[in-house]
Amino acid sequence: MRFLAELILTGLSVGAIYGLVAMAFAVTYKSTGIVNFAQGEVGMLAAYCSWSIAMTLGAGGLGTIVIALVAGTVLGLLVERLIMRPMLGEPVLSVVLVTVGLAVVLRSIVMLAWGASPHKFEVAGADAIVHVAEIGIRTSQIGVIVALVLALLGFWVFLRYSRFGVAMRAVAADENTARLMGVSTARVQSVAWAASSALASLAGTFFAVIYGLSPTIFEIGLKAFPATVLGGFDAVLGSGVSGLVIGVVENLVGGYLSSTLKEISGFVLILIVLMVRPFGLFGEKRIERV
Amino acid sequence: MRSGYFKERFDQLTVLTDSTAVRVWSLVLVAAMIVAPFVVSGYMLSHLTVILFTLVGVLGLTILTGFTGLISLGHVAFMMLGAYAYAIAITRFGWPPLPAMLLAGIVPAVFGLVVGLPSLRLQGLYLAITTLAFTYIVNATILAGGKFTGAGRGISIKRPVIFGINLASDRAFYWFCLLVAVLVLFATLNLRRSYVGRALVAIRDNDIAARTMGINLWRYKLLAFVLSAFITGIAGSLMAMFISYVTVEGFPFLLSIEALAIIIVGGLGSVLGAVLGTIFIVSLPEVTSALFGLLGGRLAEIMTTSANEIKSMLYGVAIIAFLRLDPRGLRGIWQDVRHAWVHWPLRF
Repeated sequence: MRFLAELILTGLSVGAIYGLVAMAFAVTYKSTGIVNFAQGEVGMLAAYCSWSIAMTLGAGGLGTIVIALVAGTVLGLLVERLIMRPMLGEPVLSVVLVTVGLAVVLRSIVMLAWGASPHKFEVAGADAIVHVAEIGIRTSQIGVIVALVLALLGFWVFLRYSRFGVAMRAVAADENTARLMGVSTARVQSVAWAASSALASLAGTFFAVIYGLSPTIFEIGLKAFPATVLGGFDAVLGSGVSGLVIGVVENLVGGYLSSTLKEISGFVLILIVLMVRPFGLFGEKRIERV
Repeated sequence: MRSGYFKERFDQLTVLTDSTAVRVWSLVLVAAMIVAPFVVSGYMLSHLTVILFTLVGVLGLTILTGFTGLISLGHVAFMMLGAYAYAIAITRFGWPPLPAMLLAGIVPAVFGLVVGLPSLRLQGLYLAITTLAFTYIVNATILAGGKFTGAGRGISIKRPVIFGINLASDRAFYWFCLLVAVLVLFATLNLRRSYVGRALVAIRDNDIAARTMGINLWRYKLLAFVLSAFITGIAGSLMAMFISYVTVEGFPFLLSIEALAIIIVGGLGSVLGAVLGTIFIVSLPEVTSALFGLLGGRLAEIMTTSANEIKSMLYGVAIIAFLRLDPRGLRGIWQDVRHAWVHWPLRF
């Protein structure tokens, strides 16, 4: 029973990281209609940047989170302005392939700038153990779960009540009509990139603090795909919640079955889900009339 | 008086080429490729061999992504399956090389059918992710395969003897790759101009319209997957023979990206583009390292210490640059050049 509870609790903390990245995927997809295959890489680069900045400034826990958010936002705005903006109006296939290209470029930048050897991301107090119902868990692991919950709440309020959130949903629903109504699609796109990069950066930084900083962090992007697919690409909140589901499932499979299965359990799960519901669990069904 | 060049019959539209010049130059090229091993250095020869078997794999992807418009991020999985099917048939079952190569095509084709099934329901991006998932599942399965697949250690194989010719020499292997590449090239060209090829392109351009024209989406999407996986599997077996050692690490995910980069740089949906793109992308790291070597000093040092990163960076930059600046790819540039050549000094 205790083993089970431990697996679920650590699963939730891993799942929260997946959830943050999955939300990042969904935010870009919802407002621009493209899947950003470089999401994990953006998170990784931002994590490395925050590490360098946090080390020189000697920032504490909250300080590191602020640095990560700022680094992610700046990175997202830069990428959007330099690479994605010129592609506005091009076919979706081309834009998506650009992000695939971007992914390999960002990965090599990290390898060239920081090297392949792993580092420890030291944050004061992050490794302190807290006992939740007699199960020891690190504060950083609780921190990431809290961060996901706050991000979920924040986005829910943002999309529902803020003017800009409504504009974003309008662009997602029908880009041309939204433009006729005076919504600037370019600005929506840049805000979406900034927000999604900030989320990815948060995920990357938490991952680095918990498991160490290494050039394989970009894999959180791949690991978060199942969560996004499960939630549906156009469901921001659904994706965040599905991240938790995937994290827990992975950990349970790893704990009770085998560690090889753990790596692929998420992907197997989405294959099954997609067979039954090709638009994800919470995604909107698209009807095409002929 | 004729005011221009018109195509009047259907077979004029579907013929491979109607120009004698193209035919002559193609023959000259093939002849040059055949005598190349006697002229070029050993290093250059292995580079040409890499181009040839990469071309086979890229043609496989061209059928799926170029013709049918289904994005695959999992082509390296088909390559891996082909390589492993070949290696296992040779070492574990003691099969002769040619049936083993056939198996290297059939095994991925069967898996292609399995991956293709969800493609009937999934829209583009979801499909790309399914193929990505497929790569990871194949990877994990092979690693968990124990003695049969050699798990993490891999399988070591010898170059085979086919029709009494020992492919252990680099020249013989080069000719063998040339033969396979030319065969696959012709198969792809002929597929493109047949009913099947036109059906695939119709599905790419608008699947609903294609369906109303009486094209069975089910059949042709699956067919594209099967053909593509078959050819890619053959490429995988050639690659396995080339490096004589099959491991999971030998087939990194970057290969899928490289293949995508090649068909984008070459020009999506074109066989000529696939050929040009393969030559361009495979030579890109070599040319860059030569340039860096010329510049000397610090840059040459970076090139030797982190060759892999520079290589993947170049692929990425090539993908972005071509999509951003000229989505028609090298094929488009080639057409412009040809146009200018034919019509000079007039502009058109």
